Amino acid sequence: FLHYSLSIALPPLSYLVAQVRPLHGSGCGQQQEAVGMEMRPETFSIFRTQENDPDCQSEQHQGQYYTVPPSHFHTVFPHGLPPRYQQQVKTFNEGCVMVRQPALELISHLKRADYSKPTLRYLLYGVKGSGKTMSLCHTVHYCSTQGWLVLHIPDAHLWVKNCKELLPSSYHASRFDQPIQASNWLRNFRTTNENFLSKIKLRQRYVWTKRESTEEGQPLGELVDMGVSRVKSSSDVVGAVLKELRLQAGGTEGGFRLAVAVDGVNGLWGRTTLKKEDKSPVAPEELTLVHNLRKMINNDWCGGAVIATLSQTGSLYAPSSAYLPQELLGEEGFDSMDPFIPVPVSLYSEKEFESCYLYYLDRHWLQHPHSQTEEGKKELIFLSNRNPSVLERLCAFL
Amino acid sequence: MAASLTGLLKPWTPRVLLVRWSRYNPYYLEPEPRKEVYHIPETELTPEQKEERELKSVRPIKAATNSVTSSVFNDPVLSKFVNMMMKDGDKIIAKGIITQTLENMKRKQVEKYHKAPEGKKAETECNPYAIFHQALENCKPVIGLASIQKGGKFYQVPIPLTDDRRRFLAMKWMITECRDNKHRRTLMYEKLSQELLAAFSKEGNVVKRKHELHKMAESNRAYAHYRWW
Repeated sequence: FLHYSLSIALPPLSYLVAQVRPLHGSGCGQQQEAVGMEMRPETFSIFRTQENDPDCQSEQHQGQYYTVPPSHFHTVFPHGLPPRYQQQVKTFNEGCVMVRQPALELISHLKRADYSKPTLRYLLYGVKGSGKTMSLCHTVHYCSTQGWLVLHIPDAHLWVKNCKELLPSSYHASRFDQPIQASNWLRNFRTTNENFLSKIKLRQRYVWTKRESTEEGQPLGELVDMGVSRVKSSSDVVGAVLKELRLQAGGTEGGFRLAVAVDGVNGLWGRTTLKKEDKSPVAPEELTLVHNLRKMINNDWCGGAVIATLSQTGSLYAPSSAYLPQELLGEEGFDSMDPFIPVPVSLYSEKEFESCYLYYLDRHWLQHPHSQTEEGKKELIFLSNRNPSVLERLCAFL
Repeated sequence: MAASLTGLLKPWTPRVLLVRWSRYNPYYLEPEPRKEVYHIPETELTPEQKEERELKSVRPIKAATNSVTSSVFNDPVLSKFVNMMMKDGDKIIAKGIITQTLENMKRKQVEKYHKAPEGKKAETECNPYAIFHQALENCKPVIGLASIQKGGKFYQVPIPLTDDRRRFLAMKWMITECRDNKHRRTLMYEKLSQELLAAFSKEGNVVKRKHELHKMAESNRAYAHYRWW
């Protein structure tokens, strides 16, 4: 553990330097922040990097943690992060993400892609708990800092199961609407992309009821607000929003790049657990949200990228040992996603494990006296097999 | 000598086999789960240890129970607590509740730690195991009461308690307090973590119950001579 400090007429600093983090707004007990943001001393640690901009990160930062600035947290990730990670952020009072090879590969592809050609689809796959969702969030942070419009669907499985209200769609006779899920997603979409809502103008007139319609040339923000307030037509609003963004993404005048990030994309093809009133099962195509999202994932538009993750954890009727694209997507899904760029996400390497272990030590998370010894570390490697989520759950009670 | 397996070669074998029974022949020796004992090289063994090793190579050894591990994280007090919390032999659920409790306590303390000013940081105890042990210590009664019959009446007589009994009472009070006297909708791990943190700082209902027991014993001091052991 090399930890050398460069002291330039600063008082001698202790070994594990208390790095005062700026507390973000959600933290309570503001009086402790009276110390304020001290000038970060020039210390080098093996597991942290000062490079907080995903654009400038490269292979040399692999295995190191970078801090997501607190101001970005609520705008970029209102709904995308895994729940245990959100708890961890709250406990440690900072959000640190590890720079790993799959995310770096994705970001390098995004930098070099040609956006006048049809969209490329990237698929992150790997065993359960290997870090697919976190890599996706890292890429979403990159797209956000580069000024792209980010369409982040936190989990497509949430749209095909546990739906309390299933309304028949007003637009298309045989389809079903999900008002609660659609309005929740629109609310989060509004938080993420505030600055784009006023700039993008609609190219088509949308009629909702006899008295309500949204005219051509109105800003997208109005459409989104309407969807959030009028919950009944929110699924159709989502469809309209997706269509507008698809048409305008590659445009030369005022064109923006569109990143569609879908977690658990295998939920869009397969079966649902929803039932119609006559107890017959609902196919995913019969849901408005799923239908529109599938159109988005097709590569018939240009000016952006589709980044998807497979997930067995929330999936329906899939065996727990399945993790490959062929097994989880099924025939129909694979044919729709084909051709895609597969990005495998592996378990922690030795260096990454070291980094994670040191990070937990630094944050005072590993409290058991034996976990700080060599023997305890060997036992952790053995028990977790270097699987990130298993390690996190083990260290939680140690 | 060793258990015969021929009795098990039947067309149907039950799914759960009784491997470890409590009425072992005294000829059987106890198993040794600790790793360090086996790492001592030949030369550094004391004569007793050499003798013990030779004995172990000829005598049969009892099967180790499921709760005994060679892991460095094994804690006998915690295992006892898990067993006491267990209902209907479902140790997985009991162990799960305890791990969630430890995690919850650690999270609360680490959050307090990171938000505390520099001076207070060293005072917050973040180790959930240390908190658990200290809380249990704070709940252990020093003196107990026994119901002794003298002249047709029963008197509550103060008596000394063994260590095991004290530990048992502390754990029992903790579990019953969390099961009975808390809000219905809170989950067990949340209730336990609140009660353990309170006991750590010597507040809360369990410590109060211990103090009441002490007061009762103090008020019944006059009957102490009814005890004959």
